[in-house]
Amino acid sequence: MTGLNALSDVSGRLAGRPLEEWNAAYAKVENYFHAMRIRNKALLGQLVLRVLERSMKRAPAEPNHSATQIAAEEMDRIVTEWFAAVLQEPPTNADQMLSTRGRLALLLADMPGQWQDQFLRPPPWPEEFVQAMRDAYLQAGPNFQLSKMTARPFDLGPITTLTNLGRIPYLKMALTWALFVLLLVAIFYFTH
Amino acid sequence: MPGVTTQSAPVAGKSPQLVVSPLPRAHRGWRVFVFYSAAVLATGVVSMLFADLLWRTGWSASRTILLVLFVILFLLIAIGGMHGLVGFILRVFGDHRRITQTDYRAQSIAETSTAIVFPIHNENITRVYEGLRATYESLKSTGQLEHFDFFILSDSTDLDKWVEEERRWYELIRELDALGRVYYRRRLDNEGRKSGNVRDFLNTWGRRYRYFLVCDADSVMRGETLVDLVKLMEAHPTVGLIQTVPALVNAESLFGRIQQFSNRFYAPLFIAGLNYWALNLGNYWGHNAIIRTEPFMQFCDLPQLPGRKPFGGQILSHDFVEAALLSRADWEVWFAYDLEGSYEEAPPGMIENSQRERRWCQGNLQHGLVLFAKGLRGVNRLHLVLGICGYLAGPLWLAFLLTFNWIHWYQKYTGLSNITVHAFTPYLNLSGTAHAFLIFIICMVALFLPKALALIDLAFDRERRRAFGGLARTTAGVVGETIFSTLHAPLLMLWHTRFVLTNLLGTGVSWSQQKRGPDGTTWLFAIQRHWGHTLIGLAWGGFMWELNPYLFWWFTPLFTGMVLSIPLSVWTSRRSLGARARKAGLFLTPEETKPPAELVALRSQMRIHEITADTTPRRPHAGLAEAVLDPYVNAIHVSLLREKRLNPVYAEQLDKLGVGREEVRVLGEKLLAEGPVSLTAAEQLLIMTDARAMVWLHQQSWLRPGETLAPWWRAAIQEYSRRD
Repeated sequence: MTGLNALSDVSGRLAGRPLEEWNAAYAKVENYFHAMRIRNKALLGQLVLRVLERSMKRAPAEPNHSATQIAAEEMDRIVTEWFAAVLQEPPTNADQMLSTRGRLALLLADMPGQWQDQFLRPPPWPEEFVQAMRDAYLQAGPNFQLSKMTARPFDLGPITTLTNLGRIPYLKMALTWALFVLLLVAIFYFTH
Repeated sequence: MPGVTTQSAPVAGKSPQLVVSPLPRAHRGWRVFVFYSAAVLATGVVSMLFADLLWRTGWSASRTILLVLFVILFLLIAIGGMHGLVGFILRVFGDHRRITQTDYRAQSIAETSTAIVFPIHNENITRVYEGLRATYESLKSTGQLEHFDFFILSDSTDLDKWVEEERRWYELIRELDALGRVYYRRRLDNEGRKSGNVRDFLNTWGRRYRYFLVCDADSVMRGETLVDLVKLMEAHPTVGLIQTVPALVNAESLFGRIQQFSNRFYAPLFIAGLNYWALNLGNYWGHNAIIRTEPFMQFCDLPQLPGRKPFGGQILSHDFVEAALLSRADWEVWFAYDLEGSYEEAPPGMIENSQRERRWCQGNLQHGLVLFAKGLRGVNRLHLVLGICGYLAGPLWLAFLLTFNWIHWYQKYTGLSNITVHAFTPYLNLSGTAHAFLIFIICMVALFLPKALALIDLAFDRERRRAFGGLARTTAGVVGETIFSTLHAPLLMLWHTRFVLTNLLGTGVSWSQQKRGPDGTTWLFAIQRHWGHTLIGLAWGGFMWELNPYLFWWFTPLFTGMVLSIPLSVWTSRRSLGARARKAGLFLTPEETKPPAELVALRSQMRIHEITADTTPRRPHAGLAEAVLDPYVNAIHVSLLREKRLNPVYAEQLDKLGVGREEVRVLGEKLLAEGPVSLTAAEQLLIMTDARAMVWLHQQSWLRPGETLAPWWRAAIQEYSRRD
């Protein structure tokens, strides 16, 4: 809180931005952590403020970016850095692999249920939590044992020739005419 | 004693060619001869009587047609009657030629591995997963779980379903603590439909498992039954497939309960009769069956049929053909018809039932071509013929009735006399009317004999009697079921005729999605589906009245079913009526009077879902929103996509789809800026198949200022932030 106070000025602005802008930024960050199933309100508020504090430090240098944008970026950075620390992986990852792995690890380690207090906390973390995070691996199937089934075509004998009749042009039309003729013959036959 | 040998030593990467000793034929040949000869004999005698009746009123071309149709139709009835009769005799005197007769229970399954696969395609996910859970828990209680793995093999094309399947799969494995035991895989294309789905599984993991057991989306299996099936396979190394006879369960609507009752009450007789002549050349019904992986992989990949649709192309009803292919390679196929603990569900209404019939009709007609494949066993050809006849019977009945009407109309409007002449019946001393009545009675006896025998069988089995709610209630159930099937049969006749004709013309029938109210089929939907039946019934009834009022009364069951088709369809789909019938003790089945543990578990879980289900309608593209916005669902989705890359076949398919290209990123930008409506279904599917795009979308949707996102995203984010 002291950090935030230090960033406010006499005009009632925070880090040079109107309060409404930070309010929107707060909502954005809160929404994401809410989506991460952080349900403890005190913890949630604390985490959001941590992100905003870093955002406010950045804000004066980036007048072209909205507070929300800066806060969202900071949130992403903080989360990714924390994943890197817990999972012991370099934070530079172009395709966000680390973020995905981290989120999956949080889920498999049951962070929302058991370890909310550890989320974004600096080390040291409980050994059990760290192990659960690092061991997390979602196995959708056992190891592949690839092979290839091969169909053996049926020998249909002369029937194969018959099936090729379908390729004769205008077959349907000819069949319709044949049926019509048969109908006429049948009518004649039955009425005489 | 037949045995299994390998033709060559295993070569790295290739499995040895499995060969089994030829099956003994003589015994089965005699059984087939006796069984079908009895049906032919009965048909011959009755057909003679019928021909004689026609002769008495003067022969004509139309009478020849009528006789031919009669012979075919009566033969089918006689075959059905023989199944009931032989099944009854076997139940009374004991069937010593069944696979479960052997002493298999002491067999160890320690060295075995079995995959239980659930191929699904846009199903009710809750029901599928709860069925799997019930099966899993039941298997766990046997202490043999370690020898089994479960696979959900998704072919779902609905994006919402896809995401829901993934999310619920994770929830399921967490609740069951079954990570590494219950697996999920979605295919990238739907090539080959269900059989292609299973083939894909076999090509990917098949060789890890000695056996695999195919379940339907609504299947439930008892753990002990699963273990028994594996033991049976272990005890009989020449058996390639064992098909259980699934009991219909969990029906609530009146229609479903009637079907369930018929299945549970008559099936034991019919299948015992079927097993009598099929023996080790049994059949496969596509699910609730255990299969030996190696011979199935070697011999059962289905070829494309030559020619064009409806006969050519991909084989739709694959199961009968796969059984025939196994038998062709000398592998035995058995029915384990007395193994309990195998379940499936029935369609809840007449319309849903006919929709299923439509699919099966197409597949069965296609077997007309497979019939001519060289090398198939005669018994397998019989299975195929019986399947085809099940659908051809409808148009044949219609043709019979129309010809009959034609003869009467012709007689009346040409003014020809109806004087009967003597034929060989003078020896029987029958008048023309008595002669016709005798044939009618014989037909009825042939039709209703299995029902009567099933009742007699029940009367002498105290335990079974109690399971069906007592003899009196069961008799009332049989009467009720008979009345219903009498009314339903003309509708099936019209439906089957339509399906057969449209299939032969290659046009198919396109039906809109079933509209169901909370208690069953809605009146409006029933009118849309049945108005034609009602009109035909009214017109035909009027015609018959005009033609001959006496004859009209004989035809009333036919017209009544058609004229009342709308209310019949609506009322029998009602769950409330099903519950009332149950309260009255009608159509009770053993699974209702004494529910087995696995079904109790399933029902209670389904009830919990019913009570706790979020009834607010889901927003359009909810699956896409969830897969992008939810940090965990996104992580699951992406990690499953990434795993696909490890399989060279999937990796190739992903490349073919265009995954990873710059165009996908462009589509992603469009999706963020304009929302999902700006993309086609194929484009949405492409994005959701691209792991990198999905990670990027997750990041961007949360990072970008709201005003740069489409209103749809803003609303979705709002929704997520309020979710508990």
